[in-house]
Amino acid sequence: MNKVFVTGMGVISAIGNNSAENLKNLRDGKSGVGPAKYLKSNYGKSHPFAEVKISTEELKARLEFKNKKGLTRTDLIAFTALKEALIDSNLTAKEISAEKTAFFSASTIGGMCHTDELYEDANLISSGSEYIESYFLSTHALKIAKEYQLSGIVGAINTACSSSANSIMLGAKLIKSGRATRAIVGGVDSLGKFSINGFNSLQIMSDIPCAPFDANRKGLNLGEGSAYLVLESEDIIGSKKRYAEILGFGNSNDAFHPSSLSEDAVGVVECISRAISNAQISPIEIDYINAHGTATGNNDITELIGIKKVFKGFPPFNSTKSFTGHTLAAAGAIEAVFSIFSIYNNELFPSLNCNTPIEPFNEFPIIEHKSAEIKTVLSNSFGFGGNCSSLIIRES
Amino acid sequence: MFITNLYSISPQKTFDNSFFDGEVKSFFGNKYYVQEPDYSALIPKGLLRRLGKAVKIGLGAGIPLIETKKDIDGIILGTATGGLNECYKFLNQIVKYDEGTLTPTSFVQSTPNSIAGHLALITNNIGYNNTHIGMGLAFESAILDAFLLFEEGEVAKLLIGSVDEASEHNYNIENFANYFKSIEIDSTNLLNCDSQGSVRGEGAAMFIVSNEKENAICELADVHQFTYPNDKNIEKRAIDFLEKNNMNIDDIGGLVLGFNGDNRYDFWYNDLINSFPETNIYTYKNLVGEYPTASGFATWLAAHILAGKIIPSEAIYKNASRLPQNILIYNNYQGTQHGFILMKAV
Amino acid sequence: MASTELKENLKTQIIQYLNLLDITPEEIKDDTPLFGEELGLDSIDSIELIVLLEREYGIKITNPTQGRKVLVDVNQMAEYILKNSNKI
Repeated sequence: MNKVFVTGMGVISAIGNNSAENLKNLRDGKSGVGPAKYLKSNYGKSHPFAEVKISTEELKARLEFKNKKGLTRTDLIAFTALKEALIDSNLTAKEISAEKTAFFSASTIGGMCHTDELYEDANLISSGSEYIESYFLSTHALKIAKEYQLSGIVGAINTACSSSANSIMLGAKLIKSGRATRAIVGGVDSLGKFSINGFNSLQIMSDIPCAPFDANRKGLNLGEGSAYLVLESEDIIGSKKRYAEILGFGNSNDAFHPSSLSEDAVGVVECISRAISNAQISPIEIDYINAHGTATGNNDITELIGIKKVFKGFPPFNSTKSFTGHTLAAAGAIEAVFSIFSIYNNELFPSLNCNTPIEPFNEFPIIEHKSAEIKTVLSNSFGFGGNCSSLIIRES
Repeated sequence: MFITNLYSISPQKTFDNSFFDGEVKSFFGNKYYVQEPDYSALIPKGLLRRLGKAVKIGLGAGIPLIETKKDIDGIILGTATGGLNECYKFLNQIVKYDEGTLTPTSFVQSTPNSIAGHLALITNNIGYNNTHIGMGLAFESAILDAFLLFEEGEVAKLLIGSVDEASEHNYNIENFANYFKSIEIDSTNLLNCDSQGSVRGEGAAMFIVSNEKENAICELADVHQFTYPNDKNIEKRAIDFLEKNNMNIDDIGGLVLGFNGDNRYDFWYNDLINSFPETNIYTYKNLVGEYPTASGFATWLAAHILAGKIIPSEAIYKNASRLPQNILIYNNYQGTQHGFILMKAV
Repeated sequence: MASTELKENLKTQIIQYLNLLDITPEEIKDDTPLFGEELGLDSIDSIELIVLLEREYGIKITNPTQGRKVLVDVNQMAEYILKNSNKI
């Protein structure tokens, strides 16, 4: 089976409009969670969010899409991250649109971030806004396919908060199977009333900056962003720069409840174990875990239980959601990029706002930025519907 | 991979044998809604009460299969939009109550992965679980995902399927985008009228697939997809696909085609027919309407054709008097997403 | 509003909000535990009941502990409503 290497990355989030900015703020411990500026929602006044610090109009202008209609904030954020990844990987237009270049993306809100227009269109209050064909969750992927003239396998996934981890997994599998020689994979989500009210209705949204793995955590902060990774087969990679290798992956379902994880962390233990087995390593080789760490009551304790069961202890772990908020479908890909930052630069970033560890484990996550030899990373993503996914990424 | 069991809930009465007994329904207008079984025997009351339609028909089609094959290693579905009605219910709540205190059920039921999630929940299945949402190729991606798992040697049996529901609110949006006929017609005339637009359907089609031939109904041999093709040479693409499977045009006894009555896109199917002069031709969207994952129904139909079932005449476009041993399913969605599925008799 | 009338309304509303198929108001006794085996409600239902209290009776319950004390059975809910609602 072919090895799968990461040759390009692009990321936009609340802590930066590109990889360099994200990396700098991770190192400086500067979170992107705070008052929202562009968001149209009543909750913008009462809750902090992790907003991408550019307006939708400005995103459009930077992409030179000024005259194009029907582009949603989700589309624009995705195009931004994708553009960076493609430039970073030095792919030619021909390589991007080759038949053996696959593309898998993910989103949970899609164009529904424009909730007001959606309401008016759906209820025949308008005569059809410019977003009529842009609301679906996979529309951004189809727009990308059209823009870049993709002729290979094009798809999109929705497994809630583990979506883009599964995109990465699919891309890696396509390469390992020989069906693709390259895969551009990732995901996107933008802030919108639909998800904000959805998460608020479940009473898991915090009105203060989130504190993953803290005993007094109050819930998550919603964020927005996108990340794409260019994966290439070892057969064609030649002497290209390699950020890391996608070594293994695991996917399972917790099968307990539509919107929370089981006390025994069944799904968590399964997907981590499968990833470790798929990577053909042993748990002790994991140098660091980029946890799902949403700061909800349910997730963090369950994740710790699962980690303890698999590792018998706790490798160094953090939640970068303390910087970016919970970017939903984009989380898996953004956190894969951050994991690769740690591997490529041999450093660990802090998990912010944790003052009191959770009992009975009393384990602090990584508290300050530091150098460390990081060879192999586990990145977790768990979503509604019991969808649990883990990626194992190794230096190359 | 081999299909060993299957189930469909569709606008036709396909959840029992009525459809093949000749009970074929025709529709007037642009909306073809599913005929549903009694769910109370399948789904616990406590769960049934809060289910949205997409989850209900997904469970309704999936549970009977998992009940008979509890040892499946995973669940992979294709759904373009998940729980659409629940999505709009929640949206309308947001506006009605100006983002005040809202009930979460609709939100949870609206997410596309809630169908596969509920299937796992109800059957206590902790295996691989994935949901593809790539519109007109969501089901094809689910099939591809399954092939990858079988090739890795990780699984022996899977549940794969397609689910999409119609919705009044979504109809309004798609109508703005000119998806539908401007004049209502009967489904018996859908494929004959030379006009723009189609009709909206819905349905769930579920399959148990296995890496073993034993007890198989048919083989699901391969899948191929392409998006925004820059040429219209569907014949070449079909030939290339068949060649990759060591086959040629003459080997194909039946074509199951996604004609939907929209003259902007049906030419693709006419072009393909010209290349397969000796082949039986079947249609299905005149029976179940157009929706992104309609190729799931096409697969269900093809499996029955290969199994030797007598097919209602309403689904037969051309009878070349062959008993198909191999079927090529070709479907496109809005002329932009195109998929082939190759199926073989066992 | 008399306590009996309130409790009858409440039972109908509980059935409506939670879409409890096949259950009639008569089948919910005043002291049937809401989260016991008979009704089989779960955490999502508790959120739905909190929404019921706000929409029908104008009562806002802001923390889960408070919610658990109120959402015990119809008796407790009615008592809490009579004390705290400005809508009846």
